[in-house]
Amino acid sequence: MSTKKDPKSLTESERRQRDADRRKKVAVSQHGPKVLTLSLKEPDVFAAQQLNRASLDHCVKCTICETACPVLAVTPLFSGPKYVGPQAERFRHGESVDHSLDYCSSCGLCTLACPQGVNIAELNSMARAVMKADHMPIRDFLIGETVLMGKVMTPIAPIANAALANKPIRIAMEKIIGVHRDAPMPTAQSQSFVSWAKHHKRPAGPAPRGPVVFFHGCAGGYFEVQTSIHTVEVLEYLGFEVIVPTQGCCGLAQQSNGLFTQARKTVTKLCRQLRAAGQDLTIVSSSGSCAGMLKHEAHEIMGVDDPALIDVSTRTRETSEFLMELEDAGTLPHSFQRIDMTVPYHAPCQLKDQGMGMPAIRLLELIPGLKVVESGEGCCGIAGTYGLKKEKYDVAQAVGQVLFDMVIDTNPELAVCDTETCRWQISKSTGVPTVHPVSLIHRAYGLGD
Amino acid sequence: MTRVVVIGGGLAGLMAAARLVDQGAEVTLVTFGIGGLQLSHGGFDVLGYTPERVDRPFDALDDFIAAHPDHPYARLGTQGVREGVAFACTFFGDLFVGNSERNWLLPTAVGALRPTYLASPTMIAADPRADHDPVVVVGLRQLKDFQADLIAGNLVKQQIPARAIVLDFPARIREADASGLTYARAMDRADYRADFADALRKQLSKGEKALIPAIVGHRTATAFTDLRDRLGSPLAEIPLPPPSVPGMRLNDYASRHLQDIRVRWILGSRVVAIHGHDRRASSVDVATSGHIIELKADAFVYAPGGFESGAISLDSYGKVLETHLGLPVQVPEGQLIGPDRTAEQPLFRSGLATDDHMRVLDQQNRPVFENLFAAGGVLAGAMRWSEKSGEGIAAASAVRAADAIGDLA
Ligand SMILES: Cc1cc2nc3c(=O)[nH]c(=O)nc-3n(C[C@H](O)[C@H](O)[C@H](O)COP(=O)(O)OP(=O)(O)OC[C@H]3O[C@@H](n4cnc5c(N)ncnc54)[C@H](O)[C@@H]3O)c2cc1C
Ligand code: SF4
Ligand code: SF4
Repeated sequence: MSTKKDPKSLTESERRQRDADRRKKVAVSQHGPKVLTLSLKEPDVFAAQQLNRASLDHCVKCTICETACPVLAVTPLFSGPKYVGPQAERFRHGESVDHSLDYCSSCGLCTLACPQGVNIAELNSMARAVMKADHMPIRDFLIGETVLMGKVMTPIAPIANAALANKPIRIAMEKIIGVHRDAPMPTAQSQSFVSWAKHHKRPAGPAPRGPVVFFHGCAGGYFEVQTSIHTVEVLEYLGFEVIVPTQGCCGLAQQSNGLFTQARKTVTKLCRQLRAAGQDLTIVSSSGSCAGMLKHEAHEIMGVDDPALIDVSTRTRETSEFLMELEDAGTLPHSFQRIDMTVPYHAPCQLKDQGMGMPAIRLLELIPGLKVVESGEGCCGIAGTYGLKKEKYDVAQAVGQVLFDMVIDTNPELAVCDTETCRWQISKSTGVPTVHPVSLIHRAYGLGD
Repeated sequence: MTRVVVIGGGLAGLMAAARLVDQGAEVTLVTFGIGGLQLSHGGFDVLGYTPERVDRPFDALDDFIAAHPDHPYARLGTQGVREGVAFACTFFGDLFVGNSERNWLLPTAVGALRPTYLASPTMIAADPRADHDPVVVVGLRQLKDFQADLIAGNLVKQQIPARAIVLDFPARIREADASGLTYARAMDRADYRADFADALRKQLSKGEKALIPAIVGHRTATAFTDLRDRLGSPLAEIPLPPPSVPGMRLNDYASRHLQDIRVRWILGSRVVAIHGHDRRASSVDVATSGHIIELKADAFVYAPGGFESGAISLDSYGKVLETHLGLPVQVPEGQLIGPDRTAEQPLFRSGLATDDHMRVLDQQNRPVFENLFAAGGVLAGAMRWSEKSGEGIAAASAVRAADAIGDLA
């Protein structure tokens, strides 16, 4: 291709030709004729991605992934993980063979359920990044910019909140950038976590259990400030010194929107920042999905092999996971006050994907009187930013419907869930206030006001 | 409290976990993916062929054991198999029905008659020995895995009066190709069942029995009886290739129930190593995302399945391996794969050897660890598919292993 045309104005056949040309180029220059071209623009970062591709040969077509897919369950527009994953991947040589792939929410439940080790969701995410490379909606750039959103909204919190509650503004937002008018939006806080942390007084005296690093994530920094504060106070109560290094975003929203180039930079930078706080320290996070990004997604989906990431990923623990490690070692104090309550608990898909079970259930049931009812549902529908998009909104709501009913039936006063966007989705759709497990632990330790 | 780690979430792992909880143990179940139970036909096989078709498995077992001294049933004994079946009946409750010690004979999705010991209550009316009603096999235009004319044709060849019809009845509007699960989700709704019953009733004559694909409800337990009542005719389900809704009903019930009774459930991570010394295992390593967690326990039940789940494999040098922990494998003598593709392949009898307590043995027939037990498809000596013995082996070995752990404590 000699002349460069605006990719948006390419016809389908021109696009195909362009994909094919490009494939040839990479094929000849990098890997010989039988190349596996997935990340066309960065062919040197995808060793892990090649492994994803190799895993498709393990598929025995058992359909277990299909039964686990929450999107396939609610819409015939999506052909499902077995088809768009291992089956379509066989035919992909750079170009996209099945555009229904865009309906995949990247929830990862297919990979989790597959007994043969096929990295289905990872294949889907990689293929989507290629598919969307040249016609990325402006909206998908914007909602990937989570830090920016927080920075802009925090100083003008009341105005931002009023705007987001304003119907005409939301309709305009839907028309212009494609964020559905009824989609859940975070509530801007007038104080960011970082500014709280600056004024926060640490408990006097040395911390008997030594230091840990707290990774708050963008949402935990700007919107879910309370969750971050509770986490720090619980950790300090337990005798840890909590270090909060200056930190950016993990890039998850960019990654799930197919913006791999940006996301790779974002996550690598974050890892450097977290490492700067101390080389051997445990990193604790109350952002269920961001912890997953650090632990495995950045490496497994985007093929990031930076040693900083590898180091950080092995040291990262989700908060409930961390507290249960203390419990299993016999060092978690049981000085809990009674909370007589039954709460619905939903483990977000991206938390389940970490393959550690549901530590929050065991943790919460250490509190006398507290009964936890697990949702039994795979995904709430939001899947990061998926459920915000105007063309996905109805699918996302249908995905979450059984969960919403279950939450309301179990306890209309309070629900528990480990990831911010999922909490927004659940409380927006049910009207039930939804908190991170650590907030109940905070209360049971008597740390509330 | 005895702490036990169960590895594998197929029928064997599920049964072991349930039995251990009954005994008061604290159980962690680690399973890399969802187990094979969800792919099953919804019944429970004990012994179907020796290779002659078996009518009463418990009458045939003593002879079968005598003829197959290396078979898991030889470790368990007829009585042990009975205990396994009894426990499965208690655990699954009315999801299974027996046939007074006889095998049911139920049509498959190709119209063969297949023996099984316990059946889903939604299928038993299909047993041709139950009545002489003429059969209508009901296909659905949008469900490609169920060819009504093929099934009816094969039933006719077996002297069962049958005809085929095909309904044009999508699971979702404008969906041309749906799975059985998509249908089952639609059937969970009363309005869909009512419409379906209306469409089907018009096609049936008085006295005919309708055999439909196994799609009548995934989560609504009463969907089947409700549809049958609305239809007013005898009705039975025929299992489909996966996604198998009857298998999902069993698997969903079992995994949900075990989590409700607080079996610690770790889905999606592989057990990659076992540690111990002086013939006592002390912990296993679980490769969760990002890092390894070490699970310490007093005993371990290893139920990772067989060749079909990848737990037993054949490398390019022709060596048979236990893939995850490198445990010693018992391999049949002689040629492992014969030239006749349709004949029995001895390779598939490879697996772990155990003592009568289901403890894994090494080449010198000593337990590898005093507290490491194996159950299910990983055991050596069986041809589960052709014998139709898979569930019987899984449940009975799981019960035996769990009881042996109870005795350790
Ligand atoms: C498609 C199919 C059809 C079959 N048809 C029949 C039939 O008609 N009749 C019959 O008798 N039998 C049949 N079988 C066999 C029958 O399913 C099995 O004999 C029986 O269910 C075995 O159960 P299991 O629990 O031992 O193993 P499985 O059901 O295979 O479960 C093993 C589980 O362990 C997990 N696992 C493995 N390794 C690890 C590890 N290292 N760490 C963590 N988890 C691990 C796997 O992911 C899997 O979930 C069939 C099997 C399949 C797959
Ligand atoms: S669960 Fe895994 S092996 Fe089964 S069909 Fe899906 S990708 Fe293939
Ligand atoms: S990642 Fe989620 S939505 Fe996408 S195919 Fe897998 S299960 Fe379905």
